[in-house]
Amino acid sequence: MNTTLTLRQCSRVHSLRPAVLDFLAPSTLRHSASRQYNSSAPKQFLAWDQNSSEKPPTNSSKPKYVLNQQQREFLDSALRVNQAGELAATLIYTAQTPHVVRSHPHLRPLMKHMYDQEAGHFSTFNRMIAKHRVRPTAMYPVWQAAATFLGWSTGAMGREAAMACTEAVETEIGSHYNEQVREILSWEADAASRGEELDDELKEMLTTFRTIRDEELEHLDHAVENDAKEARPYDPLVNAIRLGCKAAIRISEKV
Amino acid sequence: MAHSPLCVRYTTTTIASARRPLFSLTLSHSSTTPCISSIQPRRLLHNHCARTTTSATATRKSFRSKTTSSPSLLRRPYHSTHHPDPPPHEYTNSQTTILSAALRHVPHHGFTRDALTLGARDAGFLDVSVQLFPRAEFDLILFWLASRRGLLRARVENGFFEPDRQLSVEGKIKALIMERLRMNSEIKHQWQDALALMSLAGNIPLSLSELHALSSDVLYLAGDSSVDATWYTKRMSVAAIYAAADVFMTRDASDLAATEAFVHRRVEDSKAIGDKLGGIKECLGFMGSTAVGLGRSWGLKI
Repeated sequence: MNTTLTLRQCSRVHSLRPAVLDFLAPSTLRHSASRQYNSSAPKQFLAWDQNSSEKPPTNSSKPKYVLNQQQREFLDSALRVNQAGELAATLIYTAQTPHVVRSHPHLRPLMKHMYDQEAGHFSTFNRMIAKHRVRPTAMYPVWQAAATFLGWSTGAMGREAAMACTEAVETEIGSHYNEQVREILSWEADAASRGEELDDELKEMLTTFRTIRDEELEHLDHAVENDAKEARPYDPLVNAIRLGCKAAIRISEKV
Repeated sequence: MAHSPLCVRYTTTTIASARRPLFSLTLSHSSTTPCISSIQPRRLLHNHCARTTTSATATRKSFRSKTTSSPSLLRRPYHSTHHPDPPPHEYTNSQTTILSAALRHVPHHGFTRDALTLGARDAGFLDVSVQLFPRAEFDLILFWLASRRGLLRARVENGFFEPDRQLSVEGKIKALIMERLRMNSEIKHQWQDALALMSLAGNIPLSLSELHALSSDVLYLAGDSSVDATWYTKRMSVAAIYAAADVFMTRDASDLAATEAFVHRRVEDSKAIGDKLGGIKECLGFMGSTAVGLGRSWGLKI
């Protein structure tokens, strides 16, 4: 219990640290730094998972920031989109892996690593959705089919196309997470200006979103390292996938 | 005189407890300057009392805005322990007072305008204050549904499942449906009229959204945590079971024993259908993965 408490406090200190340019992060540029930050991620996840059921200790006397209707609706659609996105990501990797691994066996650990992280994100959002009583997207079966098809087809086109697919998807997802982090940070600023603070769940959510965002962008780096740019035809493929992702995000926000 | 300042007597209601702080504030205000604000929609309360206008125009305006506003039942996103659930309905305090007083007359007078008027009288309002309810009888029905849903929630929070904690989710769903139906038993003889009113074309959307809210609450309270497409199918089947049992109950002469058997059979049916569909899906998936595996072992690029 003590250890989890200290862990929790650590993570809180971590999240409260003024994030100066963190949320601007198109982190394709910062390679080694982002890797190091990522290495602390599993521990934070662990702390979040274990303590999510019990009431965290509130050691500050500041009043809590109360979400208004728009903010609740934003969180509602944000969590719905995130769950749908992670569902699609796991299915894409599942469908790609056999093709990619057969012709390039050395990519097996990388594909497994990326899949495992996505599966972790998916279960995180599943828990959040159940906990906060958020309606899952009505397009669930459609996204399942679409993601499997996308993964299968790009996998069949070869390693470069599969990596280009990863690149396109992770770019969209990463910037989408960025928008969410920015939104929650603006609430935090609003709360601070009123002398209030966000409740612990929101703080944890912010940490979780940041961690996941960084992991998604790490996948983007891996894809680029593995010749995503060599895919033929690169531009139409990536643009089509990005457009599809954007449309899927818009749809999942609503239904 | 329709818009004269109303003299209002407040009785405590259990359902609107969440709003009491705001309410007591305006009460102290209106005790010095008796204004009509206490029977206005909540959103207007603030502005209106700050200005303390008692002019007839403002009053009329507020009445008109009442007729356009409607209790939105589906807008309940993002629940959290830090941000408590909104109350099950959006009626103001005085509306709640009148409606809960009117419910006491329902067993005798049914869901009618008479019950509303009598309720208003009991609560110390003038007869004319039934104008607060643009939907009249249907408001009474909606309030009945929403407040019973709130009671169901409160009952579970007060340890409804304490005696048999190891009940399965399905068992809990059944118990909750029965508990909700039991709440209807005292007005069973009036319920057919209410169902008829609910099935009028203009009333169907609100009735359905209330039904959805109930089935969603039942599943949540039963501890169901489905996060995929079954979220929808489960809510639909619970809603269907409840609605069917609701109709069945109006013709149930026994002491709800027949209704309980009916609910039991419907739950078993839906479980059987779900199992069948799940089996078919599993079988197809197995066949598909076998075919793909076979193809791959032959060297096909699939």
